[in-house]
Amino acid sequence: MIRSAEFWGGLFWLALGAFLAWQGRDLGLGRLNDPGSGFALLWIGAIMMALASAVILGAFRHPGQSVASLWTETRWRKLALVVALLLGFALAFERIGFVPGAVALLLALMLLVDPVDPRKAVPLAVSAPIAIWFVVTKLLKIQLPVGTLW
Amino acid sequence: MDILQNLALGFGVALDPVNLLACFVGVFVGTLVGVLPGIGPVSAMALLLPVTLSGSPQAGIIMMAGIYYGSMYGGSTTSILVNIPGEASSVVTCLDGHEMAKQGRAGPALGMAAMSSFIAGTVAIVLLMLIAPVLARFAVAFGPPEYFSLMVLGLTLLGFMSQGSMAKAMIMALAGVALGLVGIDQINATARLTFDRLELLDGVGLIPVVMGLFGVAEILSNLEHVVRREIVATQIDGLWPGAKDWAASKWALVRGTVLGFFLGLLPGGGAVIASFASYALEKRLSANPHRFGKGAIEGVAGPEAANNAAAGGAFIPLLTLGIPPNVVMALLLGAFIVHGLQPGPLLMTQNPAMFWGVVASMYIGNLMLLVLNLPLIGLWVQVLRAPYNILFPMILLFCIVGVFCSGNSAFDVVVMIVFGVLGYLFRKFGYEAAPLVLAFVLGPMLENNLRKSLILSQGDFAILVARPISAICLALALLAIVGACAPALGRGRKAVAAGA
Repeated sequence: MIRSAEFWGGLFWLALGAFLAWQGRDLGLGRLNDPGSGFALLWIGAIMMALASAVILGAFRHPGQSVASLWTETRWRKLALVVALLLGFALAFERIGFVPGAVALLLALMLLVDPVDPRKAVPLAVSAPIAIWFVVTKLLKIQLPVGTLW
Repeated sequence: MDILQNLALGFGVALDPVNLLACFVGVFVGTLVGVLPGIGPVSAMALLLPVTLSGSPQAGIIMMAGIYYGSMYGGSTTSILVNIPGEASSVVTCLDGHEMAKQGRAGPALGMAAMSSFIAGTVAIVLLMLIAPVLARFAVAFGPPEYFSLMVLGLTLLGFMSQGSMAKAMIMALAGVALGLVGIDQINATARLTFDRLELLDGVGLIPVVMGLFGVAEILSNLEHVVRREIVATQIDGLWPGAKDWAASKWALVRGTVLGFFLGLLPGGGAVIASFASYALEKRLSANPHRFGKGAIEGVAGPEAANNAAAGGAFIPLLTLGIPPNVVMALLLGAFIVHGLQPGPLLMTQNPAMFWGVVASMYIGNLMLLVLNLPLIGLWVQVLRAPYNILFPMILLFCIVGVFCSGNSAFDVVVMIVFGVLGYLFRKFGYEAAPLVLAFVLGPMLENNLRKSLILSQGDFAILVARPISAICLALALLAIVGACAPALGRGRKAVAAGA
């Protein structure tokens, strides 16, 4: 039971519901003829807790798959790598600039995740960000970060 | 007569060269994202929303609408040739369309899919044109209680029609409403759930959330396993279906169109349910149901007609009530708001050029799609051959650029990645993202209308049941909840949702 994905999913929503209800109460419920900012949040949290409890109770009757089994025979390391690369890019591209950051991101994604032949990967990784930069900044007149390091 | 005058006004708008170009770009991009598995109309619309800001609101909305109904056309190509549905609404087209392709009849299957889509799409526009003005006149009398109850009904029906557990769908809807409330409270000007982050004072952006939940999450799910696509090695010729094919398909097409249109009107209904329901109906009515799944052309005509008619029908609640019935329409609502317009009963009277321009552009767009789809099938096949390990980094880069351009903020890119991971986890744990997005858009309106109703009634909840339309909506919502809880009805609901 304790390994059931249903159980842990329900528990997550139960905790979120409790948090929302607490936030709602904290923000102030107001009066019925003039509801406060927390009125809706309290109700959302309370209903979410009730529904999450139903999911948890259901997990006791039908535990279903375990959390670990959701990732068996999957390439979860590749997913973690993609997420890490994306986060790295998001946190750095304003400093290093859009084009250098995007070239690095594309190269890393193409060479590390499902390797593409470098003879294809390098020209694509260089040309695509430059083409996007041209279209966005020159044609659509939307600014992309040029970087603060250079 | 009024309708003809309005339509003439609409064609005047739609035939403006810039709007015509916007329509072409919309249906072309729509077909392309429909063809490509792993990127749908929601991501494409979110991606192109910032682009529309540099043009007129009419051009922007025409392009966004074009992406939606264009994707309905494109989705069938991958279903027939690769047995991978380009769109969720084309899943059933795989069953008989791909079988036809394996039997060397890819041409008639693709041709029938395109013709059914065209006919149903056009009929849906005619119905939209006839029904929307009537409904809009009726909706002018709606007050906060009616709007609140209508939105509750919409969210409940969305949960009722979801494929999995209704409790999970409702949890997602509640999470969406809560997410929609992040930022400054519109009535009391209090900051809610902002965690002292300045970026959150204006709330969480729709585009980062949608791109994360539908774009990034889809890519993460696809990367779990090695993606292989095998295109049927067959000569694609004879695209025009023969007399025998038409005879077999004509009633499936008519039934699919009617069923799809009315299911498209329902909140949570939309193209996916319509295509499944049409397939189930055709199989049930057929004299030879055993032919289904083995290359029956009516198994292509019905669902393709249904999903296109549903796409047309879905515009009615948005344009007349201002309430989006599905995620794509929620995004279109976002596009209206970004352009400073509020869809609803007054749109037709206050901005007739916009309303009728969009309607007229849909006629033109459907014609463009017919021209695009049949001769360009060779091009779409080439697109399908693009390896996924090259495609996914490009899609991710487009997502990043789209999100950044929408708010000029790196914080939005982080939000997109966070929602991408959440969206992936939701899928793993069996929670659908669609109710969350729809509720996210409806959340602020829902809360606002509830609070206004309570202020109007001096705190008396009875106002919600004292007004007939509001009471009917709440009764229907209650019926949906009871229906989902009753074991027999619950099983029936899941059977329909799972595609009969």
